[in-house]
Amino acid sequence: MKKILLVEDELPLCLLYEEELSAEGYEVMSVHDADSALDALKNKTFDLIITDIRMPGKDGVELIGQIMGLRKDIPIIINTAYQSYKEDFMTWAADAYVVKSSSLAELKAKVRELVKD
Amino acid sequence: MSELRKDLVTGRWVIIASERSKRPDDFRPVTPEKKEGGSRFCPFCMGNESKTPPEVFALRESGTVPDGPGWKVRVVPNKFPALSPGAPPPKSAKGIFQWMPGVGVHEVIIENPDHGKELSDLETAHIRDVLRIYQKRINAIEEDLHYQYVQVFKNKGKEAGASLSHPHSQIMATPIVPKRVKEEVYGSERLFRTLKECVFCRTLREETALNERLVLRNDRFCVITPFASRSPFEMAIYPLRHSPFFTSAGDEELASLAGVLKTVLTRLKTTVSDPPFNLILHQAPNPTVSQKAWPGIEQYFHWHMEVLPVLTKVAGFEWGTGFYINPVPPETAAGYLREDK
Repeated sequence: MKKILLVEDELPLCLLYEEELSAEGYEVMSVHDADSALDALKNKTFDLIITDIRMPGKDGVELIGQIMGLRKDIPIIINTAYQSYKEDFMTWAADAYVVKSSSLAELKAKVRELVKD
Repeated sequence: MSELRKDLVTGRWVIIASERSKRPDDFRPVTPEKKEGGSRFCPFCMGNESKTPPEVFALRESGTVPDGPGWKVRVVPNKFPALSPGAPPPKSAKGIFQWMPGVGVHEVIIENPDHGKELSDLETAHIRDVLRIYQKRINAIEEDLHYQYVQVFKNKGKEAGASLSHPHSQIMATPIVPKRVKEEVYGSERLFRTLKECVFCRTLREETALNERLVLRNDRFCVITPFASRSPFEMAIYPLRHSPFFTSAGDEELASLAGVLKTVLTRLKTTVSDPPFNLILHQAPNPTVSQKAWPGIEQYFHWHMEVLPVLTKVAGFEWGTGFYINPVPPETAAGYLREDK
């Protein structure tokens, strides 16, 4: 089963994403801040990372910069409510940028595209 | 007493607040800007080509392959663009409100593979190559007549809008001619009718004769601190050969411009403690569009570049009135910028 690391500080969203992505056949591990994500990456392997940007502590842009120092090969999806972070070229370290929406169709399509069998 | 000065071409007013005139040292940052650590990932650095979209152009060593290492200058589309390529459908309207889809081109020119090497640190020949690539990309984009205006610019430093310190420039093409560009074109047309000559050519002649705001002049280019400078140490770089289109500059002009840019950007760096700045190319809109919308533009528009250091804050007064307050008279700024340190 393909494993997804979800970095999201809003608990209700974590529950929703876990449910929806599990129904698609993925194993999802949720963490709520960047430092916990880095710890998880040191101890486990993942096939994909989905990260929010605005979070307490380090933000998602700083997190993906640090992930590049650990593992460049894991695809990353930025999932944020804000378009404006697209202006930050550090987001190019990610493979996709999906703006949060009431429909998860775009996010799920990107997950399918980036998680290779 | 302060002075109100008018920019002839745009009609914009500036307050030159000479009574609170500042010296270059007054702009030294209290805490030097924290440099990005060497370990920080950069998608523009050599070896990280897979993190950018496929290159649309690159100057490369022979034997190297696209989207791999071995490049000198690299052009890539924006990975997450604000404007996306495509033919613009007609404008839509709902009541008095108009809109159109965000169609356009947005490319990034990575000026060199070395994260810490700024444009002014490059060899003159390398800067000339970057300028040549600006021309190539403008020409390629303007082949699509949907793109009425191509803007080339460079943001250096966080306060100037740069999100990465790896030296880069940007090209954005829009399906409309932006308001500020139109103001400049209409302003220069109006002044051409009054002066019976190009206002920029006249400005260069008068600035050279006055020698108060002249920073540098060689046989092809002239650099001045404009009479109504919005920003301290603002500079305008003009070719002496009149042309509305940057793409008309030949190899020798580009080589000369590269040398001029290296000199003035180095002087700015040493005089004002390496300030953030915006470098902006001003040129006439897409030639096909220009010839239809502004017949005679070849006579009255004159391409040029602006260097705008970000040393003051644009706030309520500026947004509300369009006035800028500049605490360094351009005559004083030119005096400092003429000196080689």
